[in-house]
Amino acid sequence: MKQQTHFSRMKILLFLIFTPVILLAQETITGKVVIEGAGSGAPFVNIVENGTDNGTASDIDGNFSITVQALPTRLKVFALGFGTKMVDVATAGEITIQVSESTESLEEVVVTGLGSSVKRANLANAVSTVSAEELVGNTGQTTVDGALYGKVTGVNITSSSGAPGGGFALRLRGISSINGNNQPLFIVDGVYVNNVEIPSGLRFASGANRGNEENSGNRLADLDPNDIENIEILKGASAAAIYGTRANAGVVIITTKRGKGGKTKISFSQDTGVNIIQKKLGLRPWTAESVFNSFFSPNPDDPAAEQESREAAEAEVAAFQNALQNGGLIDYEDEIYGEVGFITETKLNASGGNEKTKFYVGGSYRDEEGIIQNTGFDRFSIRGNIDHKLSDVFDFSLSSNYVRSNSSRSFTGNENEGGLSYGYTLAFTRPWNNLFPDAVGNYPNNPNYPGNPIFVRDNALNEDSNNRFIQGFKLNTKILNKEADKVKLIFNGGVDYLSNETYVYVPEIHQGQVGNQEGFIAEGNNNFTQFNTQLISVWDHTALGGDLGLTTQAGISYLEQQADFVNSRGANLFGGQTSVDQSVNQAVDQIQSTQKDFGYFAQVEGNYKDQFIGTLGYRLDKSTLNGDPNEFFGFPKASLAVNIANLDFWNVEALNQLKLRAAYGETGSSAAFGSVFTSLVPSNVGGNGGLSVNTKGDPDIKPETSAEFEVGLDVGILNSRVSLEASYYNRKVSDLILSRNVPLTTGFTTQTTNLADLVNEGLELAVRADVFESENFRWNTGVQFYLNRSEVTRLEVPAFAQPGAGFGTGLGTFFIEEGQPVTQIVGNIDPDGDGPIPAALQQVGNVEPDFQMAFNNQFTLFKNIDVAFLLQWKQGGENLNLSRFLTDLGQTSDDLETAEGQARLGTAADALRFTEPAGYVRLREASIYYRLPSKTVSGMFGEVVEAIKFGVSARNVFTITDYSSYDPEVSVNGGAGLSSGIEVAPFPSARQFYFHLNVNL
Amino acid sequence: MKKLIKMKTQYYLILVLVATLTVSCSFDEELDPNGPSLAGVEAGASVRQLNEIAIGIEATSRDGHGIETTVSGSMARELYLFDADPRNTGNVLGKGGTVLDNNSFYSTTQFAGNYRTIKNANVLLEALDNTKVIEESEKNLYRGYAKTFQAYELIQVLKSYGKARIDVADDENLGPFLEFDAAIAAVRALLDDALNDLNTSESLGQFSFPVSGFGNLIDTSSETPENGRDDDESVIVSEFSLFNRAIAAVAAVYAGDGTGALTALEDSFFNLNGELNIGVKHVFSQGAGDQLNGVFRAPSKSADEPNNGDQIIVHNSWINDAEVNSITGLIDERVTAKTAVRPAPSIQDGLTGSHETRLYSNNVAPIDMIRNEELILIYAEASILANSLTDAQTALDIIRMKAGGLGPKDYGTPSPTAEQLTAEMLFQRRYSLWAENHRLFDTRRYDLTSTLPLDREGDRRFSVLPIPLAENQ
Repeated sequence: MKQQTHFSRMKILLFLIFTPVILLAQETITGKVVIEGAGSGAPFVNIVENGTDNGTASDIDGNFSITVQALPTRLKVFALGFGTKMVDVATAGEITIQVSESTESLEEVVVTGLGSSVKRANLANAVSTVSAEELVGNTGQTTVDGALYGKVTGVNITSSSGAPGGGFALRLRGISSINGNNQPLFIVDGVYVNNVEIPSGLRFASGANRGNEENSGNRLADLDPNDIENIEILKGASAAAIYGTRANAGVVIITTKRGKGGKTKISFSQDTGVNIIQKKLGLRPWTAESVFNSFFSPNPDDPAAEQESREAAEAEVAAFQNALQNGGLIDYEDEIYGEVGFITETKLNASGGNEKTKFYVGGSYRDEEGIIQNTGFDRFSIRGNIDHKLSDVFDFSLSSNYVRSNSSRSFTGNENEGGLSYGYTLAFTRPWNNLFPDAVGNYPNNPNYPGNPIFVRDNALNEDSNNRFIQGFKLNTKILNKEADKVKLIFNGGVDYLSNETYVYVPEIHQGQVGNQEGFIAEGNNNFTQFNTQLISVWDHTALGGDLGLTTQAGISYLEQQADFVNSRGANLFGGQTSVDQSVNQAVDQIQSTQKDFGYFAQVEGNYKDQFIGTLGYRLDKSTLNGDPNEFFGFPKASLAVNIANLDFWNVEALNQLKLRAAYGETGSSAAFGSVFTSLVPSNVGGNGGLSVNTKGDPDIKPETSAEFEVGLDVGILNSRVSLEASYYNRKVSDLILSRNVPLTTGFTTQTTNLADLVNEGLELAVRADVFESENFRWNTGVQFYLNRSEVTRLEVPAFAQPGAGFGTGLGTFFIEEGQPVTQIVGNIDPDGDGPIPAALQQVGNVEPDFQMAFNNQFTLFKNIDVAFLLQWKQGGENLNLSRFLTDLGQTSDDLETAEGQARLGTAADALRFTEPAGYVRLREASIYYRLPSKTVSGMFGEVVEAIKFGVSARNVFTITDYSSYDPEVSVNGGAGLSSGIEVAPFPSARQFYFHLNVNL
Repeated sequence: MKKLIKMKTQYYLILVLVATLTVSCSFDEELDPNGPSLAGVEAGASVRQLNEIAIGIEATSRDGHGIETTVSGSMARELYLFDADPRNTGNVLGKGGTVLDNNSFYSTTQFAGNYRTIKNANVLLEALDNTKVIEESEKNLYRGYAKTFQAYELIQVLKSYGKARIDVADDENLGPFLEFDAAIAAVRALLDDALNDLNTSESLGQFSFPVSGFGNLIDTSSETPENGRDDDESVIVSEFSLFNRAIAAVAAVYAGDGTGALTALEDSFFNLNGELNIGVKHVFSQGAGDQLNGVFRAPSKSADEPNNGDQIIVHNSWINDAEVNSITGLIDERVTAKTAVRPAPSIQDGLTGSHETRLYSNNVAPIDMIRNEELILIYAEASILANSLTDAQTALDIIRMKAGGLGPKDYGTPSPTAEQLTAEMLFQRRYSLWAENHRLFDTRRYDLTSTLPLDREGDRRFSVLPIPLAENQ
C-alpha cells in the first residue's frame, strides 16, 4: 500500500515535468516505408530520431507515425535485412522512405557459440555469410555447394562430376586432412546433415579401382538451395572450435527460411532452362595419311610383322575412306555429350503468421536433364518451418524437410576394361566405325575397345534415388528474464534420416560383358540415421551500468550416426532380366557402422560498450571413433575484437568502422569408422569360406587436431558504403591421420594412423562497395581475393604416394612429403629418356592455385532492371590430365594433326607430359531481371499480385583457360580426402541458361 | 518474499547447470561389426577359425596372379596385354626408354598378393601356437600346410623380384631382404621343415579343412573317405606331401642343385611317362567372395565380328619361332592349343599381333600351380645339372612328343652337349609353359634377357621387377 502511494506521486511528478515539453514540441511525421524497387511496404522497420531513443516501427504495411521534439530532424531507418538509411525531415506530414534490401546490414548477427550469436560488427573472426539473394538470386542452382562458387573467400570447390545432381567438394582454407574428412560439417537448422558419397558398386562392372572412382554425387544435393535464408561459414578452427571434434574442416551453418509474421506472403517462381556442354574438344581432323601413320608401325627387323602392320593400317584407311563416302566421319563426342538437357524448376512457398505462431511452408520440384542422353536429376522437396511462442518463458521451433531425389548419372570416370566409361570408350573409338544399331536394333561391337558408347548410353543404367527426412527442433526456456540477468535453457537437435537406393544395370549383351560377367546388376540399399542433441544454458549478464555485457553458456552435446550399406550384385544375367534375383552369380556385401560422440562445452563472451569484445571457450569431446572411446580431447578458443571506431576518442566520421581482431581456436577430427580395427575379411575358394588379413588398424588412434590463429582488420568507410575485410590465418594440423602404404611384406597394404603435421596459411581479402547510387542507376560491387599455402612439416614415415589419390608415380600421384605442399603432384621422370641420368621422382605440379579472385557486380537500371554478374578467376595450380593419356593412346586427341600434338606423342608417357596449367577466368553467373513496376502490376492484377519479376540468366557462360580438357575443376576421386586436379574421363561440365518468372502474392 | 524467490531462481539455475554438466555417458569398447578381429583369432582361435584361415591361405594364393602373369609375360615378350591401361604396353616394355616404376600396379599387385598369403600363413602359425582346442600333432598338420604355401609364394616373389624378405612373422619387426641364393636356400629349408611337420602328423590321414585343386594327384576313388566328405576336397596328408616335394624339386633346380631336385622329384607326383596335366591347381568360381581366372580373356567370336578390344595378344615371335613337325608339316601343337588367329590383326600403341590367347576356356577354368609337364622339364633340367644328359634328352623328347606333337630332337649328334640340351630345355619350357609366368625368370637365370626381341624403337628389356616403394629399399 505504501509503495503504491509513493509510485503515484512519482507519476504525477513525471507528468508535471514532461507534459509541457511534449505540448511545446509536438511534431508528427507520418508516412510509409517502402522497399526500393519492389515498391511494397516494408513492415517492422525501425524509425528512430537520430541520436535519441525516441523511435517507432512501421506496421505490417510499412506505415508509421513518429512524434519528434523539433523539426528539422534526422531519422535513422533500419531493420535486419535492410541497409540503414538517414532521412532528413524538414516539415511535418506525409513522407515516403525507400529502403533497400541489404546483405551487408550492420546489425547482422552471426552464430559464434552453440547458443549465442554476436553482431557481425563485433565478430573476431572472418565468418563469411551468403544470403539467399547471393546464393540463388542470380541464376538457377542445382546444389548448395555448387552455388557457392566465387561467393566465399577461402573456399576451394572441386567438381568431381558434371552430372546433374551433385559431385562437389568444399575445402575451407586448404587441406585439413589427408585421409580423413576434408569436407566441412554441414548443420541445417541445428541438425548435423549427412553429406555422404554413396558408391553404387558399378566398379564391379567397370573395373574402377575404388568406390570413390564411381563418380557418385554427394548427398548435400538433397537440400534445396531455394529454402535457404542464409549460410554462415566458419572456415577455420578459430571460429569453429566450439564444434570440437567434428569441425576440423570448418562448419557450414545453414539457416532455412522462416515465417516473419504478418500478412501471409506467397511466392511462386518458375525457372526453365537448358544444360549444354561447356566445351567440346572436337574431332581430330583426320586425313588418309594420318590414319595410315597412326596405325602403322615400321619394323625393319621383322618384315613380316611390318607387313602385317601395314595391312592393318591400310584396312583402317579403307574404312576411313569408306566412311567419308558414306556420310562422313561420326563425331561420337557430339553424339554422347552433345545433348541439350532441359531444366525446369517450380517453387511455391508461403510464409506468415501472428505474434505467437509463425510459419514458412515451401515446396519445389526441379527436373534437370544432363548433356548425356538418359542422364538427369530430379528433386522434390517440401519444407515446413514453424515457430511458436507458448508464453514468455517457452518457445519452440520445428523445421521439417522431406526430400525425394533421383538421379541418373550414366558411366564416366576411371575404369579398367569395363567398356562403360564414355571418356575411355570415346578415346579409343575411331570415327569411321559405325556403332549405331542396325534396323533390328543390334549394336555392332566396337573394334577398338570393349564397349560401344551408343549401346551403353541407350541400355545401361546407373541410377540412385533417395528418400530423406530432416527434422530439427529447438525449445527455448527463459528461466530468468531480468534487466541485468537473463537465463535461458536451449534444448535443440534433430534427426537426418536418409534411405538411399542405387541401381546399376549392364546388359549381358554389352560388349565388355560378353564372355566375362555376362551381364551385371548392383542394387544398393543404404540407410543412414543421424541424431544430434544439445542442451545449453545461456546466461546474459549486464554489468557496469550496461557498459559490459557478458554471455556465458555451458552445455552438453551428443551425436550418433548409424550407417548400413548393403550392396547386392548379380552377374551372368538371365536374358533381358533386370533383377538381382535373375542372375546366376550373386554376391552381397554389407558395411555397418555406428559412431557416437559426447561433449561438454562452455564459453564466456564479454562485450564492453561494443569497443572490446572478447570470447573464451572450451570444448571437451570423446568419440567411439578414437582408439580409447572414453578419452576426452580438449579444444580451447579465445578471441578479441577491438572496435577502434567505437572508442571514445574516435572522431573520423568517414571511417565508421575500424576493427582489429585476433582469434585462436582448436578443433579435431576423428579417424574414419573402422580405423581402430584390424579385422579379417572373407576370401573364399572352392565354395569354402576362408578368412584373410586385409588392412591394418591402429588401436591407439586419436583425432587429428587443428590449431588456428587468425588476425584481421575490418574497415567501414562512409557508413559502410565501402567496406574491407582482411584476414590472415595460420593453421597447424597435428597428428594427421594418414592411410599410409605399409611394407607389403607385412601382409598388409595400408594402415591408417596419426603420422604427420601440416601447416596451412593464407590471406583473405573482401572489399564491397556501393559504387554508385542514384535514382536511375545503382551499382554495387564486391571483390574477393584469397590464397592458401600448405606445407607438410612433419612426416614420421618416408615420403609416399597417397593411396587412392592418383595413379602411381608412373602416371602421377599426390605425394606426401615433408617440406612440400600437401597438394603436390609427383611423378617418376626420366629427364633424358634412355640416357645416362636415371629416372627420379619429381614434383610435376601443385593443384593449389596461386590465388583465387571473384568479382561480383550488381546493377539496377531505371529502378526496375537488375543486372548482375559474377566473374571468377583462379590463377595457377596444375591438373594431371590423364584423359589425354587415353586419347593419345587411342590416337584420337584433337590436336594430333598438329606438329605440337605429334611431338607430344613422341615423349615418354609420364606425369610431366600430362600436367597442365589449370587456371581459368570464368563468367560463373550472369543475369538480367526486369521487375514490373508496382503500378503496372496493380493495374493488371489489382490487389491480388504484389510483384512480378522475370529475367534470363546463365551459369558458366564462358571460361578462358589453357587447360585442354573439358573443365579445369575436376576430380577423378570424388570429394573425399585429397582429391582434386586429377582427371580421367570425367562427365563434362555443363553451361546452363535459364528463363525465370517470379510472382509474389 | 522477493528475496526468497530470487534465491530459488538461483538455486534452480545452478541445479540446471550442474545437471547439464554432470550428464555423461560411458561408451563401450567398440567391436568391429564387419569382421572378426585378428588379435582375437591369434589369441584364441576355435577349430572353425583355424580352418577358415587355412582356407584363406589357399584363397589368397591366387591374389595378383592374373597381373603377375600378364606383366611377366609382357616383359618376357611372350604376349602383349591390349587393354585400357596403357602401362601394359608402355612402362612394362620400357617404351620410349621409360623404366619400371616401383609403385605401379605391375610392380605391387603380385608382391602384395604373395605376402598377403604369407601373412595369412603366419597368422595361422601364431594362432596354432596359442590355441588350446587341438592337439600338437594336429597342429603340425596345419603347420606343414601353411609353410608349404609360404615357400610356394616366396618362390613366386623370387622369380619376379630376384630377392625376398623371408622373416616377416612379426609385422612390426621385419627381417632383411635376402639376395636370391640365400633366399632360395631359406625356402628349401622351409619346405623341408614343412615336410617334417606333415610327416609327424601323417597318422591323422587328412586335413580337417577342405583343400581345393588337388583333385587328381592320387587316384583315391577306391578309398572310402572316413568323414564322408567329398573326395576332391578331403586332401590326404600324403597327397599334400607330394605337392610339397614337387615345389622342393623346383626350388632345388632354381638353387642349381640337380641332385637335390632329383631326390625331391622321387617323392613328388612326378611321372616321366604319366599324364602331363596331372597337378595342383588354383581353382576359381563365380561364387561370392571368390575369384575369377585373371588370365582368361573372352575369345573373338568370328571373322564377321570385329575383334574384342581387351585381349592378351600372343607375341608374334612365339608363333614364328615355333617348330614344325618335319614329317606332318604341322606346327607345334602347343601353338594351336594355346592360341588362335585373331579375325584381324590387332594394333595398339605401335605393337601388332595376329594371335590371341586360348589358354583357358572360361573365366573359372583352373590354373596350374604345378603339373607333371613342368616336373618332367624340371627333371630334364635337374638331370643336366647332375650331368645325366641322356635322362635329360629322353625327358625332353617326351615333352616334344606328348606336348608338341613333334618328333625327337635332332641335335646333329647322338649325344648332345649340356649346352645343347639346356637350349632345348629352355625352348621346350618356352612352349610348354607359355604365359604361365616362367619365361622371364628362365631368361634371367640363364642370362638370356638380352636375347628378348624389342618391337619398337626405344623399348627396353627388364629382367626383374623393382621391389615396391613401400618396402623402403
